[in-house]
Amino acid sequence: MGKPKFYDFCVHAIPDGENTVEELAALARHFGYRGIALANHSDKLPQSKSVLSSTDGFEIYRGIELVEENPSKLQGLIGKFRQSVDVLIVHGGSETVNRAALENPRVDILNHPAFDRSSGLNQVLAKAAAENGVAIGLTLRPIVHSRGSRRTRLLSDLRANLDLARKYDVSLVLSSDAMSCFDLRSPMETLALAEICGLEEDEALEAMSTIPEIILAKNRPGPGYIREGVEVLEEGDYF
Amino acid sequence: MKRLLPSLRAKKRYLAFELISEGSASRSDVVKEIMSSASSLLGDVTASECDIKVLGFEDWKGIIQCSHTKVKETRASLAALTRINGKRATLHILGTSGTVKKVTEKFLQNHRVFEPKIEKKSGTVEESGAGRLSES
Repeated sequence: MGKPKFYDFCVHAIPDGENTVEELAALARHFGYRGIALANHSDKLPQSKSVLSSTDGFEIYRGIELVEENPSKLQGLIGKFRQSVDVLIVHGGSETVNRAALENPRVDILNHPAFDRSSGLNQVLAKAAAENGVAIGLTLRPIVHSRGSRRTRLLSDLRANLDLARKYDVSLVLSSDAMSCFDLRSPMETLALAEICGLEEDEALEAMSTIPEIILAKNRPGPGYIREGVEVLEEGDYF
Repeated sequence: MKRLLPSLRAKKRYLAFELISEGSASRSDVVKEIMSSASSLLGDVTASECDIKVLGFEDWKGIIQCSHTKVKETRASLAALTRINGKRATLHILGTSGTVKKVTEKFLQNHRVFEPKIEKKSGTVEESGAGRLSES
């Protein structure tokens, strides 16, 4: 097994974050990432679609983080953006939104599920997430930027979600949720921080490399793809 | 006082790091922030077990010493660092080794500190990352 390829699946650039895509990409590349997904919030999208350059060995994926309180409007947004993005993230934060996201197999990741006094997940939602293949996003920015009681809250929510995810076999994705260059962390440091926060080493590794790759493979089907479950593996004259 | 026998001394790891920051930072600022970040994230007990020391810091690069069993905790507390001197900063660990000599040879010599365009300090170091992007 070679060196794992690391991906950061939630990065915000101008006009959502502070830095341009190029700056974020250059720093992520310097840190040793293989790719980042540009996932601006859906209420702060740029006017024109930016051209994402991909140099050899580093790729910028097109993503989006949907922010919508109303579940039926959220379903509409999912339908609208699904075809054009590689990574579709839903910004959770209320029971209805979390539920709508986790019960929709077209969603890739649910970020920030926590609200009021709940970690955002329960056994029903965790089962739904596992069935529909929706990953739970663990984001570093809130953990890194808060201290004291707020960070304690965040970490205990994370643990609660982690327990549920382990029990029901829900996949996890670790991302920086970076708003600027200074929120990016290198893969090794992200792993170390995740392990301190309660993840096992292999879980953290998977959450940064294997699961992002699975999500990409799902959304960028190969040339022989016909529909779900049907794929042409070898071209040949069958008739 | 008699120096402790080598076999009795605590084993250490040395981490080479680079600092990417929007403002200037002195060694004492870096030490202060690292210590406060470590005790905030890990608590005073674990932070003391980590035995973190900043051995040197100049030209945006430096070496941190820690206990050899607590490299992970040290890395995590360095990752939790967000500001130095009130200016946003991020600390990137270039590599770890068991001796100061090796860590300097392997990671600090010939290493150019990454400089994002937004940095306000005078550009003595070339923008390595941005240059690489425009080349290709």
